[in-house]
Parts: sequence; C-alpha cells; structure tokens
Amino acid sequence: MPKPFIYLLLLFNIFLATAQKQDKLFEESYDLLHSMIDNDNNYNFKKAVFSVENAYLEHKLDTTYINNQIKLLSVLCNSLIENRFLAYVENDKEKVNKWASVYQVMCDTIPFNINDKLYKYEPFGYDFTDVFGHSKRENLFVSKLLETHKGNCRSLPYLYKILCEELGTDAHLALAPNHIYIKHQNKKNGWYNTELTSGIFPIDAWIMASGFVHLDAITNGVYMKALNNKETIALLLIDLADNYNAKFPNNDGTFVLKCCEIAIANYPHFANALILKAETIKKQIKAETDNDKANKMFADLENQYKFIHKIGYRNMPEEMYLNWLVSLKTERNKFENSALKR
Amino acid sequence: MRKIILLLLFPLLAFSQVNLPSVPGTNPFQNYSIRSFENKAKVQVPNTTNTSFGSVQQQKSNQQLIQEVEKRVLDDQKIKQEIHQDIATSNASFNYSLSSFSFLPATQYYYEAFDRLIQIDTTNFSIKDTNFLVENAFYENKEDKAAFDENIKKSGEFLVAKMKELGYNLNSNSAKNYMLFQFFSETLQLKSNGLKHLPFAYDFEDYQGINDWSKMFVTKLLATRTGQCHSMPLLYLILAEEINAEAYLALSPNHSYIRFPDDNGKWHNIELTNGMFSTTSSILNSGYIKSEALSNKIYMQNLSKKELLSQFYVDLAMGYIRKFGYDEFCAKVIEKALVLYPNSITANMVKSNIDTHRFEYVMFNLKINPRDKSQLQNIQYYPKAIELLKEVNNQYDTIDNLGYEHMPEDAYLQWLQSMHDEKNKQDSEKLAKQFKGTLIKPLKN
Repeated sequence: MPKPFIYLLLLFNIFLATAQKQDKLFEESYDLLHSMIDNDNNYNFKKAVFSVENAYLEHKLDTTYINNQIKLLSVLCNSLIENRFLAYVENDKEKVNKWASVYQVMCDTIPFNINDKLYKYEPFGYDFTDVFGHSKRENLFVSKLLETHKGNCRSLPYLYKILCEELGTDAHLALAPNHIYIKHQNKKNGWYNTELTSGIFPIDAWIMASGFVHLDAITNGVYMKALNNKETIALLLIDLADNYNAKFPNNDGTFVLKCCEIAIANYPHFANALILKAETIKKQIKAETDNDKANKMFADLENQYKFIHKIGYRNMPEEMYLNWLVSLKTERNKFENSALKR
Repeated sequence: MRKIILLLLFPLLAFSQVNLPSVPGTNPFQNYSIRSFENKAKVQVPNTTNTSFGSVQQQKSNQQLIQEVEKRVLDDQKIKQEIHQDIATSNASFNYSLSSFSFLPATQYYYEAFDRLIQIDTTNFSIKDTNFLVENAFYENKEDKAAFDENIKKSGEFLVAKMKELGYNLNSNSAKNYMLFQFFSETLQLKSNGLKHLPFAYDFEDYQGINDWSKMFVTKLLATRTGQCHSMPLLYLILAEEINAEAYLALSPNHSYIRFPDDNGKWHNIELTNGMFSTTSSILNSGYIKSEALSNKIYMQNLSKKELLSQFYVDLAMGYIRKFGYDEFCAKVIEKALVLYPNSITANMVKSNIDTHRFEYVMFNLKINPRDKSQLQNIQYYPKAIELLKEVNNQYDTIDNLGYEHMPEDAYLQWLQSMHDEKNKQDSEKLAKQFKGTLIKPLKN
C-alpha cells in the first residue's frame, strides 16, 4: 500500500473517532437529563444546562470559570439580601427577597465599595444580534452570557433560574411564541411575570394580546404555563436535540426523535418538541425508499400537524418577534404590572 | 404558634418569681433559676451554691429544675386554657356560625326560591323562569310572571317577524344571533304593523347595584330599557331561548358577555353593553386576565347549562346578602353553586366573603381582635375558631390559584370605554359585515 494512502486512512479514522466521541457527549448529556426526569432527586438545572452546552462545545466548557462566576453572582445576591431594604411585608418575604436580589443582579447597575474604592457592577444586557442562534448556537448559551454579559431570551432566564436555585429558592420558566420568561407566585400579587430581556414586569396581556397566541394555547398550557421540573428538563432535551441537528446536519434523526419522545411524554403540549418531531419525521420520509412505508408515515405526520394546530399553536414569524419584544418598552404603560412597578 | 408562646412564657415565669439582679444572659437556667428556687425554698432541692457538690450533681439538679419549670409552664397553660374554655362553655349556646336572618319575614321568599332551585333539572331548564324566580325573591314575589312571559313572547315574535321581513334564514344560528344583536343595538320597526323597537342602553349609574340591587335585573332592563353587563346578556339568553338560538354566557373580570357559534362553527363574542362584536384581544386587553385564569377556565369560556344554573344560585345568594346580610343560608346556597361549578370564580368569591364574615363574627363574640397579632394567638384555645381561620385562608388560596386578580372599578370603566375606541369599532364593523352576507336565505334551494 502506498504511504500517502495509509496516512489518509489514518486521518479518516481519527476523524471518525472524534465524531463518535462527540456523539457520545450528546448521549451522555441525554442520559443525564433522562435520569433527572426519572428521579426528581437528581434534578439539577445548572448541571443540566451546562451538560447540554458542553456536549455542543465538545467538552471544552471551562467549568471552573463558570462555577466561579455563578458563585460570585450568588455571593453578590446574598450581600444584597443582607444590606438593602425590601418593602414587602407578607410572610413569604424571604423568598421574595431572594427573587428580588437575583433580579437586581441580572438587571441593575449596582455600586459597591471595596477598600474605600467605589466599583460599579454592570448588569446583563440584551444582545440583538443573532437572537435565534442561527449563525452560532453559542449565542444562545449561558456560558456565553457569563463571559460577555450579553444574552437573549433563552440564556437570561436560564441564568436567572440557576441563580435562584443556587440561593435555595425556585423560579419557573414559562413559554411564549419564540420566547422564554420567568414566572413567580407570591402572597401579595399571586402569579406574576419577570421579563429579563427588558427588565420589566409585564402583565399577561402583553403576551396574550401579541396576536400570536391562540386562546386554546393558553388553556392547554402550550404557552404561559409555569413549568415544573420535568417540563423544564423537557425544554433542555429539545435544546440538546437542536444542538445535535446543528452539529450533525445530516444525521438520520434517531437521536433527535429519542429526545422528542421523552420531552413530549413529560410535557405533552410542548409545541417545540411536537414540531421538531414532525419535522424530523418529514426528513425521514424524504429519505425513505419504500413507498408504502413513506405513505403511511405521511398520513401519521398529517395527524401530528393537526394535533399541533388543535392545541392552539400558531407560527409567529421571526421578524415579528423582535417588534413584539420591543413593544414592551414602547408601550410600557399598557403592559407593565403597576402593582410591581419599582 | 404554640412553640412560640411556650418560649415567651419561660422568661416571664422566671421573672415573676425572682428579683433578678441583672438582665438574664443567653442561658437563664444555670444561674438565675437555681438561685431563685433555693431562696424561695419552695422546691425541695439541695443547695447547689455549694461548690463541693461537684459538676455532675449540679447538672443533675439542673435537669430536675428544668423539668420542674416546664411542668409549671404546662400547668399554667392548662389553667389558662381552662379559663378560656370556661368562657366558651359558660356561654353554652356559643355559636361558631353566623346568626340567621330568618326572623325577618321577607327572607321566606328566598328560602322558597332556593327550595325550588334545588328541584330544577341541571341540564335542561328554562333560563327565563329561573331568572324570574331569582329576581322575584328579591321583590318578595310581587312581580307578575304572566306579564313578564307575555313581554318575552312578544319580543320573540317581533324578532321572528323582523327576520322574515329582512329575508334572513330562519334556521340559521348566525341569522338568529345577528337578529338578536340588532335587537339590542339598533332601532327596528316592523313594516307590517309599524311596531317599533328601540335599542337598549348602558346604565352607568350604580352599575354594580351597590345602592339598588335591582339594577342588576332583567325586569329593570325591560322596564327602563337600560341595563348593564349582568342584565343585558341574561335578557339575550332569555330571548335566544325564546327563538331557539344557540348562545352562551361567558365571563371576564367584573363582566359577562355572549358567545355564539356561526353556521360554520366559528365562535363570536358579542359585547352588549356597547352593541359591538368584540375580538378576543380586546377582551384580553382588560389586563386583568391571567393565564392561570384561562387554563382553569374561569374566564372567556362558554358556560354550560349546569354552570349557568350555578350562576343563578350565586345571584340568589348575592341578592340575599344585599337585602339582609351574611348568614348560613347564603353559605348553603353557595355550597350548592360550587357543586355545580367548582371553579366558578363568582361563587368562590362569595364563599370567601362569607367565610371571612363568619370568622370575624366569631372573633367578635370571643372578644378577640383578629388584626392584633398578640390577641389572635388566643384563638389556640378554641379549636373550632382555628378551623374557621384555616378555612378563610384556604379559600383565599383557592381564589389566588384560580388565577383571579382584582380589577379596580376605574380600570373596569376605562376598559369598557376602550372597547369603544376606533380600532375596536372597525373590527366590530368588519365582523358584522362578514355576517351580513351569510344571513339572507338562499332564494332557491
């Protein structure tokens, strides 16, 4: 055998090996998320988020740096809790105080004093470039947010939730078309929303009247439902599947469908999972050579789309999304929760 | 709570028995109590001030003393409890429920109405008769049922005659509902006999019926041709029943309106207070509808017959409360309403009010001010009062979890006005236009 060919073969082998290794990372992350769904004691949102990101980043995530950053932020939260006054009197004050501190760390500039020198803590901001992570998946990642202090409607609420859980309290993610935000329930206001992309507490009408949310979608919990632990992990499973598709565009869909199945089993009206499943099957139908089988799959697919429509999902064009997001600031009076105004 | 009280009593007891030289430190037992007992010589304990006894013995006697003190605390508590129980039992007839208004003769009409409501078939009943029953109880059965029936019958005949005249399809649900919509919002005249009908107007004065509960009534609406968001949809339903149209009541914060399906199965909202077709988003724009309210189906849903009947029970209870006040009769009525429609926001609100009134009434009789935290602690001697307090708090939680948010009166009026703005008017006209094309009976079948 000529030498160059051997080299080529060797190179090819190495290439295969790395692809396999990466595949394994996704499988590992999948197993971790699966175990969190199976047993609530294993639930750890922070761990889940970074395992998903790490699989995509080929295990190159600097976990020490990430953990230090998060620790630093929670220390900052704790010192806020101790040092500032919160005008809230109900008996769930402790919880509310924690939420308020995380909110401040996420959205406010905080002056602080070290050895008589005044420093200014800069909050996290919204990054208007590549909101959907089309050019780079990393733009959606919490690790990117921690590094640049700029994020979007996925990384900001994720980090908020991570910090809340670090402080020993809860925070519920909630979905809107193309969007994620935070829901809390306190004694004074009942359920209320925290919108981190603009740092405003919007009322529900902001989302309901956007024109892209069918009433049935709210009734069925497709949108605006405060997600529980299992549903939250279902969300991450779909992130994982999306990342997988981005990494291996020509995959056969097996891994993606596996993620979808578990996500749907735990959150039956989760629109993104249902859609990803349908689209993956559509791809498989195109590749299917057996005509009969393809026809049968197609009939099944139609039913899936019908179901997605029935539960109230409607597509919101991406360009409309930013207009809507900005409407919160332009029509602040209309959509701000006056009871929570600061 | 009991734990806190115990802790509070401890230092009190110690202080009362001894004149302490200084403020006690963190551990009052080791120094102060021992000395105090020794001085009083009431308790048989060895002289612990003698150091020769050694630390083991000291510990032992300390233990004994602690037990002694604890026993005293418990005894003291027992005595206190007995005193409180004496208060309770001395008034043997002590009542943990609201006192009844049954001594007032006019309440009889309500009791009778309730007895008749229970007998109604929950899935098939006349809205006209049931509503009349509830309103008549308020009027002490002085209303004329025959005249009311005649009025409705004539209106029904008018509607059918007008539909014929306009060439509407008499079997179309779209046409029937559109006719009803016109009946409420337009001036209509029959060509055949010149009979004229004027639209109904919104009555802004006391629209919540605070001064005069009968402002909520259909009888008032028919008599004055003005009404509000309670009476207008109800009259609509009564007339829909009369001409066999399919239409439903739906609720939104402080408000009710009509929903009906057109011939293609598409649903429409009718806002009768301003005579418009309203879009879903204009209702949501009130700003007081939470997503939980929608997922719990307390707002913007068609009320089934059963749920509508539950609303009538609520109306009956509200009328009684406005006329007489809170007592156990309205609690009974609301209980029934909740059986028919457990998530009913109106029934749950009234229940919450009744529970609160009952608790405050009992507190008043026990001479406890529930707003004073230290006084409220005394309810621990009355297990039944604790139950009541729990019930109040549970009911508040139920309402919160249903997704209810209080809508202030001015916000409500502002929203009602906003329904009238240009954009909503245009939306309404567009929807109305879409209809008109579909109403005319096809010439040839």
